[in-house]
Amino acid sequence: MATTITPQSTATPTQRRRGIRDRAGDRRSRWDQKFSPYGFVAPFFIVFGAFGLYPLVWTAWVSVHHTELINADQMGGWAGFQNYVNLLHDSFFWNAFRNTVSLAILSAVPQLLMALGLAHLLNYKLRGSTFWRISVLAPFATSVAAATVVFAQLFNRDVGTVNYVLHTVFGISNVDFTNSKWPAQIAISTIVIWRWTGYNALIYLAAMQSIPNELYEAATVDGASQWRQFREVTIPSLRPTIIFTIIISTIGSIQLFGEPLLFSSGGTNAVTGGADRQYQTLAMYFYERGFNNGHLGRAAAVAWLMFLIIVIFVIINTLIARRMRDSE
Amino acid sequence: MTTVAIPAPSRAHKNKLRGAGGQRAAGWLTYSILTLVFLLSVFPFFWTIVAASTSNTEINKVPPNLIPGPNLIKNFHAALTNVNMGTALLNSTIVSGCVALGTVAFGTLAGFAFAKLKFRGRNVLLFITIGTTMVPMQIGIVPLYMLMNKLHLIGRLPAVILPTLVTAFGVFFLRQYLIRAVPDDLVEAARIDGASLLRIFWSVVVPLARPAMAVLGMLTFMATWNDLFWPLIVLNSDNPTVQVAIDNLNAGYVPDMSVILAGTLLGTIPVLAVFILLGRQIVGGIMQGAIKG
Amino acid sequence: MFRTRKKAVALVSALAAVVLIASGCSSSSDNKSGGSSTTLKVRLFGTFGYKEAGLFDQYQKLHPNIKIDYTTVEQEATYWTALQTSLSSGAGLGDVQGIEVGRIAAVTSQLSDKFVDLNTLGASSLKDNFYAWKWQESMAGSKQLGLGTDIGPLAICYRTDLFKAAGLPTDPTQVSALWANGWDGYVAAGQQYKAHAKAGQYWTDTAGGMFNAVIGQSTNQYYDASGKLIADSNPAVKAAWDESMKVAAGGLSAKLSQFSTAWNVAFTTGTFATLACPSWMVGYIKSEAGAMSGQWNIANIPGGGGDWGGSYLSIPKGSKHQKEAYDLINWLTSAEQQAAVFKAVGNFPSNSKAAADPTVASATDKYFSGGTDPNNPVGAPIGKIFGDSAAKLQPAILGPHDGDVKNAISTAITRVETGRQSPDAAWNQLMTKDIPAAVGS
Repeated sequence: MATTITPQSTATPTQRRRGIRDRAGDRRSRWDQKFSPYGFVAPFFIVFGAFGLYPLVWTAWVSVHHTELINADQMGGWAGFQNYVNLLHDSFFWNAFRNTVSLAILSAVPQLLMALGLAHLLNYKLRGSTFWRISVLAPFATSVAAATVVFAQLFNRDVGTVNYVLHTVFGISNVDFTNSKWPAQIAISTIVIWRWTGYNALIYLAAMQSIPNELYEAATVDGASQWRQFREVTIPSLRPTIIFTIIISTIGSIQLFGEPLLFSSGGTNAVTGGADRQYQTLAMYFYERGFNNGHLGRAAAVAWLMFLIIVIFVIINTLIARRMRDSE
Repeated sequence: MTTVAIPAPSRAHKNKLRGAGGQRAAGWLTYSILTLVFLLSVFPFFWTIVAASTSNTEINKVPPNLIPGPNLIKNFHAALTNVNMGTALLNSTIVSGCVALGTVAFGTLAGFAFAKLKFRGRNVLLFITIGTTMVPMQIGIVPLYMLMNKLHLIGRLPAVILPTLVTAFGVFFLRQYLIRAVPDDLVEAARIDGASLLRIFWSVVVPLARPAMAVLGMLTFMATWNDLFWPLIVLNSDNPTVQVAIDNLNAGYVPDMSVILAGTLLGTIPVLAVFILLGRQIVGGIMQGAIKG
Repeated sequence: MFRTRKKAVALVSALAAVVLIASGCSSSSDNKSGGSSTTLKVRLFGTFGYKEAGLFDQYQKLHPNIKIDYTTVEQEATYWTALQTSLSSGAGLGDVQGIEVGRIAAVTSQLSDKFVDLNTLGASSLKDNFYAWKWQESMAGSKQLGLGTDIGPLAICYRTDLFKAAGLPTDPTQVSALWANGWDGYVAAGQQYKAHAKAGQYWTDTAGGMFNAVIGQSTNQYYDASGKLIADSNPAVKAAWDESMKVAAGGLSAKLSQFSTAWNVAFTTGTFATLACPSWMVGYIKSEAGAMSGQWNIANIPGGGGDWGGSYLSIPKGSKHQKEAYDLINWLTSAEQQAAVFKAVGNFPSNSKAAADPTVASATDKYFSGGTDPNNPVGAPIGKIFGDSAAKLQPAILGPHDGDVKNAISTAITRVETGRQSPDAAWNQLMTKDIPAAVGS
């Protein structure tokens, strides 16, 4: 479904008028046309090449050696694929993988659902709409560190506000968030959801605002209730946007690091995500192996596996999206 | 790739495009839910201000204390002296400013090229650009660290500035915006008149791109300010950014939680201030940048 | 006008960018000792006690051309990671770096080329000032890599008010008598406490602390004299584990992670009543629970003797002020200063002259006066308690990954305490996965 409207032309900038064009100018112009675009995109690719691609390739190189942090300037002995094989047999790795998946689902699904609902509400004619939009986005301005430090206190087992509310309202007492598994993962997801729901809501809101009114009018004529209109007009129109946000938030979730790391507020169990690795993510496992234990070769293998997982996920997602698009 | 239209300036046009809800006025249920969302969004900020202005005893009280206390300035001072927070604020400003400038400048350049120019390999390069968003940051960490080590940049700000000097998000954001915002015929006309592409970029594109550039600059500034992972690895407590300082404060030997929270507040206030002052533009920018993949 | 304004903005932005980038390049704080004053960067962890005893101020007064820039981190594990990173990159190093005893063997075996041999700066003349074993632990061959700061003779710190409420004696002699026969007595007292204590109040912070104390009473710990890892086969390790399990699986632990924020908070909320107290823990208690002065006291450790912790001060080769740094650490670790530190924060001297100092032996601490008359509080005789404990301690055999093994065991104990694993399962995982991962590659 393509809806494009070309905005009207705005200010016309001053243009130099040339008289007789000379051949050299002609050649220069053609040269410029052919090669300048590459110059324009070059800065991005240079930076990416130096600080993105080159490290990526080098990580692959490190991952097939036994490189150690304690002498990081040397490569260490050749390891072949041993680091990878060790990882695939490493139950800690798979634990981190499972935690990453569960955290991704726990943080993305409620977040996007709430963002959809929020966008729908914000789409009404509201008094003070800017205020509501800014307040919904406000958590986005905080950093992971700041938010997690605060939420860790709120989730404290003995004196936290959350436990207080749970106790007085639901009669549940003293949930040990940092030492458990699912309460911890729910708490960490809460932090992520708090930070990102508003941002995604605004994205959905923008998309919603471009849905032509005719579709809704036709549905009303057909006698559809508001809920049914939401399901059958709004959501299908938003599908590409929804898929986009799913992909973006999942790519982010796979790299989840700050929130689970800082959640246990220090202690020896911070990087292991709890004493039993209840909420250790792949990124934390990477950090533990590489910087806590000093095994950089192993850590590099973890990073490449993370990349692989992201790529696989995006491919699957794109295929599903294409199937859905073709089937309608 | 389908694109979402931006609402054009005319109001009638705008009304025509809104969904069903757009015409309806919000009911009390909507306002109640929005108020609840507002409270949930804002409560952690409020709690932090209260906690940062009291001390351990009040923070650890059950039921939780929600009344601000008198220690805010004292705790700010303690946070500033405990972890180089002053240096951290300066460093974060420098780093975020440089990265924002770089991302806007280079992102607009590349975004324009991808949006309006035809050149061989454009689609491949665009695909690679999008592909770079899938690369997890962890993958580059180890060699990037070793590279920075060789360049003697460990512990210094360029190590944090250079790797993110231009991001794929920036390029893509500007591309999507410029496709719609810059009329093809304008570019064509300028080219026929013999203007070089650089000249066209400067005189035609940049003025039209300014709103998006401003938004990208703000978003990048905020994101860089809030970045923890890479600065944590490559900087140290002598020369931290704000997030590293907050982490140091949290891990440091500070017995009073209120000082830690005061430090956290100090680190958040600049961004929050920018956000409140320029909130409308940021909101608008996010919405304008909303695209379908 | 439109164009010139744009150009002006562009020019300003470009200039700003250049200025920012340039200042970014130069803002790494590498202090130049340009003639007038030298700044020494002192990087430590936990409470070494120098700041608390006012020693930095004192030194700066004695040496007006020296400024001391001091930072500390609570978690030693975090500190160690940062130190390794700094050593491998050469950036961010202090002029003085603290080294915990759990890491000193790694320093002497793998990092000896990254630290200054203090003998070249005159340290060999200090040899007789320190306990022989302490001096030896920081040597790599003939090179001396660190000067000893403190040692960690053991005691038990307890909350007198909580003991009283649970019907236990509060006088230190009587409390020590509860477990004069050993750790089983400690566990039994814990069960008695549990029977009378309120919900949410536990006997101890974590069984991990107790484990460190028990293993600290043994000479053979995780490595044997030849450098081989023996954690899995050493019966002392299993015995310490089994003893800790009585606390961990017996509901006597508050399941806290030591040196975390929650642990800090728990000092004031009465969540735990006892704590395995190496002498340096005294400083932690006083700073975390300043308001609870007079509610704590100190009893003897079950079984007597034992050592947990202790540190060194070393100078990385990357320091640009090695001579000045050496003068500082020499001064800080000399008898008079070690005695001052002890009186301020309870870190027991590793300097044998300091330990023999009568003011040390007779030192008391009014903070630990729980159970005595509030109008006339009698401070605990920390000099005698820790001095006696130090006299009984057997120095342990160290290995390069002592610190990592210790952390792995603490984590395993927390797994049992929080009910996530049975003691046997945790032990198995510890021996087959956690420890190999921590030490191997």
